[in-house]
Amino acid sequence: MEKSLKPRLLIGKPGLDGHDRGAKYVAQILRDAGFEVIYTGIRRSPEQIVDTAIQEDVAAIGLSLLSGAHNVLFGRVLELLRERGAEDVLVFGGGTIPPKDVPRLKEMGVAAVFTPGTPAREIVETIDGLLAQRPAV
Amino acid sequence: MERSLDQLVSEARGGGPRSQRAAARLMSVMTDQPHRLAELLAGSRDWPQPRLVLGITGAPGSGKSTLADHVVAELRALDPRRKVGVVAVDPSSPFTGGALLGDRVRMMRHATDSMVYIRSLASRGHLGGLALGAKGVVRVMGLVGCDIVVVETVGVGQSEVEIAQNADVVVVVLAPGQGDSIQMLKAGLMEAGDLFVVNKADKPDAAQLQQQLLAMLERSRTARLDLAHGASEPLVCHGPQLQGPGGPIDIQQDRPPPPMDFDEETPGVFLCSAANHQGIKEFVAALEELTTRQAALWQARRQEQAVEEIRQAVLEEVRRRVSHVLQLNGNGENQIRRILAGETTLNELVDWLMDVAASGTNAKSPAASDAKSHLRTEAAGRAEFA
Amino acid sequence: MGSTAETAARIATAIDAWNNGPVAKSLAKFPEQRTAFVTASDKKVERLYGPDASIFDDYDRKLGLPGQYPFTRGVQPTMYRGRFWTMRQYAGFATAEESNKRYRYLLEQGTTGLSVAFDLPTQIGYDSDDDMAAGEVGKVGVAIDSLADMETLLEGIPLDKISTSMTINATAAILLAMYIVVGEKQGVAADKLNGTIQNDILKEYIARGTYRFPPKPSLRLISDIFGYCTERVPNWNTISISGYHIREAGSTAAQEIAFTLADAICYVDTAIKAGLKVDDFGPRLAFFFASHSDLFEEVAKFRAARRLYARIMKERFGAANPKSLMLRFHTQTGGVTLTAQQPENNIVRVAIQALAAVLGGTQSLHTNSKDEALALPTEEAVTVALRTQQIIAYESGVTNTVDPLAGSFFVEKLTDELEAEAEALIKQIDERGGVVAAIEQGFIQKQIEQSAYRFGQSIDSGDRVIVGVNRFTSGDEPDIDLFEVPESTTQRQVEKLQRVRQSRDSKKVEAALANITQAAASDANLMPPIIDAVREYATVGEICRALAVVFGEYAESHS
Repeated sequence: MEKSLKPRLLIGKPGLDGHDRGAKYVAQILRDAGFEVIYTGIRRSPEQIVDTAIQEDVAAIGLSLLSGAHNVLFGRVLELLRERGAEDVLVFGGGTIPPKDVPRLKEMGVAAVFTPGTPAREIVETIDGLLAQRPAV
Repeated sequence: MERSLDQLVSEARGGGPRSQRAAARLMSVMTDQPHRLAELLAGSRDWPQPRLVLGITGAPGSGKSTLADHVVAELRALDPRRKVGVVAVDPSSPFTGGALLGDRVRMMRHATDSMVYIRSLASRGHLGGLALGAKGVVRVMGLVGCDIVVVETVGVGQSEVEIAQNADVVVVVLAPGQGDSIQMLKAGLMEAGDLFVVNKADKPDAAQLQQQLLAMLERSRTARLDLAHGASEPLVCHGPQLQGPGGPIDIQQDRPPPPMDFDEETPGVFLCSAANHQGIKEFVAALEELTTRQAALWQARRQEQAVEEIRQAVLEEVRRRVSHVLQLNGNGENQIRRILAGETTLNELVDWLMDVAASGTNAKSPAASDAKSHLRTEAAGRAEFA
Repeated sequence: MGSTAETAARIATAIDAWNNGPVAKSLAKFPEQRTAFVTASDKKVERLYGPDASIFDDYDRKLGLPGQYPFTRGVQPTMYRGRFWTMRQYAGFATAEESNKRYRYLLEQGTTGLSVAFDLPTQIGYDSDDDMAAGEVGKVGVAIDSLADMETLLEGIPLDKISTSMTINATAAILLAMYIVVGEKQGVAADKLNGTIQNDILKEYIARGTYRFPPKPSLRLISDIFGYCTERVPNWNTISISGYHIREAGSTAAQEIAFTLADAICYVDTAIKAGLKVDDFGPRLAFFFASHSDLFEEVAKFRAARRLYARIMKERFGAANPKSLMLRFHTQTGGVTLTAQQPENNIVRVAIQALAAVLGGTQSLHTNSKDEALALPTEEAVTVALRTQQIIAYESGVTNTVDPLAGSFFVEKLTDELEAEAEALIKQIDERGGVVAAIEQGFIQKQIEQSAYRFGQSIDSGDRVIVGVNRFTSGDEPDIDLFEVPESTTQRQVEKLQRVRQSRDSKKVEAALANITQAAASDANLMPPIIDAVREYATVGEICRALAVVFGEYAESHS
């Protein structure tokens, strides 16, 4: 049988930090899990990431950030999605994120936060689960 | 928030703030919902179309994306009011079906340019019918007003070459220092090219590659002329001479000289260093010139292709529906085993399959095909899209 | 008594017999824990190593004596018996005021050198009020926009007595210029300044990402710095060629050596082409490596890197000054090995890694703090990290003799293997036309990415155990106090920047910036006009824009 198509995802690196090891690894394990993953490369503005997500019609955006600028930049991505009428696109994130910031990010609308050391299986299962809960569009 | 195709089409066409999103959704319908593709393609006849669909293909690492990026930059610089589309195709993993689409990395400077529309596609192997889906994506780019659409694919694999060949003009990109380039030319990529770009022309071996390429193209042109019209040089015939009523026949005299037309010119070869934007202006100027000359012809050719497109979309849908029935609840495998066991014939199974696929029901078996159950199959109850 | 070769062969035969006899029997009853044992870099490890005759027969070529070619055993004759390594803790955050306080604290606690961390906008050349700097000001280091910030940062720190290391690359020329001018104002002449700038732009394209200009003009900036410092700031280490970030990005130990030395080859080539003599600038080249937890592999890595570098400098570039042949290096413990889970465990990891660096003969060392997988370190965590170094130095006894692991059958074998593997990789890079070509082709990035993927998969499959992450996990993690960059940082920094812009002579600034653009378009050394502009309080962002007019900007092109 033809495999049912999994939604498309975008992995982006907002801000100025160039540490892309985690972003690339997550992109690879999601590819291995059957997703089509669009990767933006490093040092992208929230505008570039959101415009790309819209053009590529992705179901979710994964943001990786190690510099500590997550509160500002994740927030900006969510704000832009709302402005563009694309608030149904899921946003998840990862990187050097203090546990204390996680509730705040979730409150902002980040669906999941993966800190260093999260097993690949857990990342894939969480994203699968979140996408399944999404209202059918 | 259910929206019909028509709504999406009019939103995309309207150019308002929601246009990009609607267009993106339409593209997803084109690539992901083969059962709607025929309908959508048929309905897209009156959509505005790009003047030029440019296919760019070549070996991995030859700099296709970089060339595409700089061509787009040049096109935008030449005419700030012009919309440009890019379709970038990367291979899917044959094992997981997943794909990592990274061509965007080289084109991010256009990401916030509302006049540039970029879409990444995964090749999805040869069964995905992507060639047709990609064509649909190009169609949507026309709908949102793209004047030129660049379709960039890795020049390996049947599906990729097919996608490129749907373009009006196919450019094959080569780069020095890569044995792959020449290998791929030998393996059929040369025939796919209308134009050639020797990229990374700042590298020392570029001139040599250009010479090799020109020599191959010349040989290939000669061979084509041979096939079409016989030798362009006199044949030396060592066999017995043919005798006619008036004595020996001079074969060469009876053969008309080969006519030359556009198709038999040696394709243009451009030297570029895309990363430094060198040679791009000349290349784009040549494309513009070619487009002005040929656009009407291409439009007509696309119109002619309409029937073929729909035919392919229909076949794709038939294949999908039939294979879906064959898979249902593992019953398909049982049916195939029945052929192996001699309980039914191949023809009977095919008749049954088509019957079921057509009625959208789940019949018990070929032998009992008149007793159709009225259960709706999954195939018929397809998910709606918004 | 036979020859060493005969002895080695006899022992090898005995080991074979031992493997096939008693070991095989024992394995039948008690199988080993794994079917294959590998290092952290996936190198196969044997059950038992015997002596290799070459250690004796080829001793001078392979090992030599400390302070002598090929420096396998260390770059100084007495190593830590003479002086310990420099204990240098990388630090910097928020604004110059706060960072200055942290530096003074660290000096009081016994660090012997400063190591300045800049924030990302400073590293890439955006002012704190630039849109591109949003959210990043003062986050991973201190924000420096103009000389005014640098004056505050170094206030009360005597630049003639302390050596300062600055992790700065794309904008190294500008920050060095600021340091020189602050020195002037303190009354310290340039030739009395001591310190290091990282200034290694190639690894930014490979692994770290804080590039601004394309490779060619970036390399020109670097050789301008070499040229200027050779004449005017002779005690400054003009580059710290860094494998650290390559390793952080996921490379193996051998790749870390290979790509770092390939970068070094490119810098030496560039400087020679710019007319400098290898023995003039060679002694000022310094290196920077990571130290991970696989103790023996890391020790072997440091030794192999020293030996290979000495050979490359001697044979490829004809360097004759022994100081040009020495690979002197700073080490940082592996940031990626820190876990967010059970952060206290990181103290132990750091101790092992620091020990490896010391056993490997490092010249200076930064030990990471336990909380750095989650945030910048707290003062308390930094203190423990520093104490770890002090315990190794003063209590462990490993510093009492030079190169204590030399002659270990295993370590010598690993040293040989890593050197050979690295050399083969350098050859591949040469064949691709050198390191810049290999970067442009994405070859190096791909190699690192594949290693990182394999490593990640080995953890995800459980094949490689990370304590507290994929084994011995403990459910809910207790809260730990984390350091926070004050929320007000951006605002305070932007206000200061605006005050600077208002109080300076804008005509002079414009003229100085125009001079930079002009110099960039010519062959002139860029350091003098940059120093002039800095003196007029031109900002990092303004100077970068003045350069970019001629240089252009670089964007990543490989996914």
